[in-house]
Amino acid sequence: MAATKKPKINNALQALTSAALILPGLVPTTTLADTEEPQSYFQYSHYEEDKRDLINISSDRAPLSVDTFQLGSGFNISDRIHFGFNVVQDTWSGATPVSTAPLAINSNTPILKNSDNGVVIVGASPLLVGQVLLDQSLMPLTLSEGTQTPVKDNRLVHILSSASPETRQQADFNLAYQWNEAELILNGGLSLENDYKSHFGGISGRWDLNQKATSLKTSLNYTHSNIAAIIDHDAAPYLTKTAYKSQIELREGSEILHGTRQDWAASWGINQLINKKAFVEANLSYTHSSGYLSNPYKATTVIFVDPNAFDNNQTINGNVQALLEQRPNSRNQWAISANYVQYIDMSDAALHVNYQFSHDDWGLESHTFAAKWVQPLGQGWSISPRIRYYSQGSASFYQPYLVSVQNFRQSQVDATGREIWVDVSNPNNGVEYFRDDFFNLVDNAGNLVDESTLNVRNKTETFDATKLPKYFSSDHRLSGYGVLSGGITLDKQFTKGISLQAGFEYYSHAGNLKLGGGGESSFADFDYYVANAALSVDLDAAAQTLSSHQHHNKQGKHHAMPTGLRFAHMLTQADSWMFGYSFMHSQRQGLMKQGSKSVSDEAVVQQDCGTDLCRFTQSDMTMGMHMLNIMYAPTDWLNIMLMPQFVSMSMNLRELEGRPAARADVHEHSGVGGHTTGGVGDTVVAALLQLWQGSGQQVHAGLGLSAPTGAVDLEFRRIARADGGLVHFGMQLGSGTWDFLPSLTYTGVHNDYSWGAQVNATVRMQAQNKSGYRLGNRVETTAWLSYQMLSWLSTSVRGIYSAEEAISGDFNAFNGRIGPIDYPNNYGGQFWDIGLGLSTQMPHGELAGNRLSFEWLQPLHTDFNGAQLQRDGALVVSWRYMF
Amino acid sequence: MVNRNIIMRILMLALFMLLNACSTVSPWEKGYLAKPQMALNPYPLQSNVQAHIYGSREAGAHINVGGGGGGCGCY
Amino acid sequence: MMLKQQIIAITLLISHTLVVNAQALNSSSPSCILTSTQLQKFPVDLKQFSGQVIYIDFWASWCPPCAKSFPFLNQMHHRFQTQGLTVIGVNLDESFSDAKNFLEHYPADFMLATDDSKQCAKDFAVAAMPSSYLIDRQGMVRYAHVGFRAIDKPSLQAEIESLLAEPIVVN
Repeated sequence: MAATKKPKINNALQALTSAALILPGLVPTTTLADTEEPQSYFQYSHYEEDKRDLINISSDRAPLSVDTFQLGSGFNISDRIHFGFNVVQDTWSGATPVSTAPLAINSNTPILKNSDNGVVIVGASPLLVGQVLLDQSLMPLTLSEGTQTPVKDNRLVHILSSASPETRQQADFNLAYQWNEAELILNGGLSLENDYKSHFGGISGRWDLNQKATSLKTSLNYTHSNIAAIIDHDAAPYLTKTAYKSQIELREGSEILHGTRQDWAASWGINQLINKKAFVEANLSYTHSSGYLSNPYKATTVIFVDPNAFDNNQTINGNVQALLEQRPNSRNQWAISANYVQYIDMSDAALHVNYQFSHDDWGLESHTFAAKWVQPLGQGWSISPRIRYYSQGSASFYQPYLVSVQNFRQSQVDATGREIWVDVSNPNNGVEYFRDDFFNLVDNAGNLVDESTLNVRNKTETFDATKLPKYFSSDHRLSGYGVLSGGITLDKQFTKGISLQAGFEYYSHAGNLKLGGGGESSFADFDYYVANAALSVDLDAAAQTLSSHQHHNKQGKHHAMPTGLRFAHMLTQADSWMFGYSFMHSQRQGLMKQGSKSVSDEAVVQQDCGTDLCRFTQSDMTMGMHMLNIMYAPTDWLNIMLMPQFVSMSMNLRELEGRPAARADVHEHSGVGGHTTGGVGDTVVAALLQLWQGSGQQVHAGLGLSAPTGAVDLEFRRIARADGGLVHFGMQLGSGTWDFLPSLTYTGVHNDYSWGAQVNATVRMQAQNKSGYRLGNRVETTAWLSYQMLSWLSTSVRGIYSAEEAISGDFNAFNGRIGPIDYPNNYGGQFWDIGLGLSTQMPHGELAGNRLSFEWLQPLHTDFNGAQLQRDGALVVSWRYMF
Repeated sequence: MVNRNIIMRILMLALFMLLNACSTVSPWEKGYLAKPQMALNPYPLQSNVQAHIYGSREAGAHINVGGGGGGCGCY
Repeated sequence: MMLKQQIIAITLLISHTLVVNAQALNSSSPSCILTSTQLQKFPVDLKQFSGQVIYIDFWASWCPPCAKSFPFLNQMHHRFQTQGLTVIGVNLDESFSDAKNFLEHYPADFMLATDDSKQCAKDFAVAAMPSSYLIDRQGMVRYAHVGFRAIDKPSLQAEIESLLAEPIVVN
């Protein structure tokens, strides 16, 4: 008789009971990428709006555009634990509405310039305050062109303002534990902008029932945000901010509006299979937001009308002011959605249909209808057209502009009707003065006061805020409108789990598209398009080819080279791939150096701005470069590689001591806050050719080409009517020229040691870029030694010498010329650095084929051309996956 | 209170019936549901971009509950 | 009162999900006869392997963990074939061409069969893909596994070894 063994507890049952434990209150989910499949991805997208219609004037401002790149990876740490991270960087610039006003106010005033054809309008400058004529019913009037008689004009227009480039960075992670019939996910992250910082975290769960025919989902998420908005320095004097007085901090001449907000979001969902070719998904979500929910950059136009102006039957003069918008400080939103997915036998396609309804206590309701068709085309191709309609009613407090019958500001009078006067230097000390019949200044008791010792003005009182609506906003996103959008996605799956995807969407927002009519008028209409391209690698599929090749173990020791090197690593197995990402962060801060020595501000002022005197210099500068590296070996002696780059830079300025006075024609930087730029950098394509191979040693040559995909014509925003001009050379995103990148690399390996040397150069192949200058040519030599300490850990040390010429040529368009950074001679130099590296790789297991490396580059000696900010070193972090 | 009780009962019954009525898909019949075009979110990267933009351009609440259901139902 | 009803309702819901009872362990294996000859030359009757340890695995082409299990099934087949282990991979695809395509990418050295009527899968109460059962030399189902994860490999192998070590008892 066979010994009967106690049967093992069924895995499924175990999972069910533990899942039930964690779901007593039915936990809620925001989205988390599919945590089932480990994959690495990279995506770039470009968003661009069309120009807003300013009706009687054409805006020369570039419309809002946003460049976003996103990358991330998911790994199965074990059979049941999945970890994923995601990094996003957005950079945006261009014009957006700051407020809305009746067209009759002429808020967008023409900027005129002399040209060969006489005076022409080159753009529009925003005016937030002014005067407007109204009729007795408070309808705006405009003067007719010929006879200049006032006629009613109910047209509205946006007041546009543009922004210098701004960057947002986000990093988040998720950690999932999977049972057979349940999943629990933790997620968290942060999003950083100059003026808006958010931290978020959440928990979500899924519970499968009925052999996975039914899944219940739930999630809970929390976001905390800190707002520190620097109010537009040039608009600030014209904005009324009384409602936010207690939240505004004055610092170095800037006004900073502080606020915090919190968002709690919960959701509950169910997935249900209907049959073997269809399923539905339904969700309910609730979001509670509290705190400062207004937009610090949006103002509402308020026309103040003197209550006494109605007496005569004439036109009324309205005093136009702009008040920072005031939204309620709490919001509760509910939404329900349903998705239906049906397989289509005829063409092996799938139809996805979605409906969503939302309601909130701001009085806003929305409906969304969407459908997409996913059609596989064979050979790994698929195409998916989609269409979407969205409609929302307006928020209860939305008003394009307000009219208030009261004076914006008026002289205060005492009980007897006498005008009150106060001392300008101390208006609130309680001491009040009056005028007698001879306009002599007298005190409360009627005694004459010596006016020569005082500086008096009328005591004024501003408008009564309680006569305005409690909440108001003229942000057109809170108005009633509809949206029709459509798009298409094309996807191609290659072997080894590599997939490429491209998408395009066109979006049209219009008041008259609102469901049931009654939307905002056409001034607020706009369109945008967004295009995206993505590359992803399914690490599971790649790992299967990995285990069949087993080649990377053979190469293992080669790879332990310093990670800051480019073109040094070669794949020596035919038909193998490498997918890599590296991030370089460098920071410069502190003193100015001239050549290799510290230099005083006074000397910089005199010496480093050509024939001019310098006024400003950087106090610090940060540069981040994200580099993607896709490498393929068609044969064992040739590698081809593609390296798109994305850069972000930020800089703060300080005034040089002993600087000359400001120039009248140039808008000077002032106040707090530096500037940032970012976006697509130059793109490198290269080929590596193996020239010689001996025992553990090899020599290869690299032939690279850098395409000028990075912008070199970034401009600061125009302030009032002064052009900002081109951004400093060092903060443009690329070289602007086609560059040749030759390199020669020798590598060797023996036991646990490996070593190598490389010489590489950057040769600019054009005399100048489109902005009129050319970055200097560059040469670099380096040699390294690395030691494999453990099977998974190696260290490296290397020395680097590099030399770079100064910039040749100069800007061919206006630039502020504020300091050394705007003069070509203050670029380049000779540099000696040491690099210390650490590299880890997993030889076996789920993470085999992955390598994570770090290198710190420490400056040893520097000899700058001209005067530059001292160097502080750089950190390179990279991840590579070979398969 | 009575009303709530009845509603509760009806809801429970409805859910129970729903689960019963739909549980006709055998584990080995999920080949169609496992196809990539049948995923709840066939292009997650792209829909991520869209959701971000819709969220900044529209004031209606957006639900974005991902994961679960459909698929191959594999373990 | 209300609470009691809720408890009953929830219990009903949960019990409903458990209606899918897996093949009872330590009971006789269903007498499967796989008649289709698409993957095998002759009908396969589980009875014909009595006295052997049977590792029966239900799989489909669209199931990612099934693909991961094939190298392991091959390995078990090669290592324990001579000691009396029979590995049978029962395909449950609706279309045979999908199975054929899958086998080109994930070749199987063990015995393959097709369950056209899905009767065998129903008899075994297959609850998810993949599902596998270990049947001892007496024809008793001794172990059942749903899914396939790398972490399952050592225990699966240990179970196979323990069943192989059990003596053959002739009734």
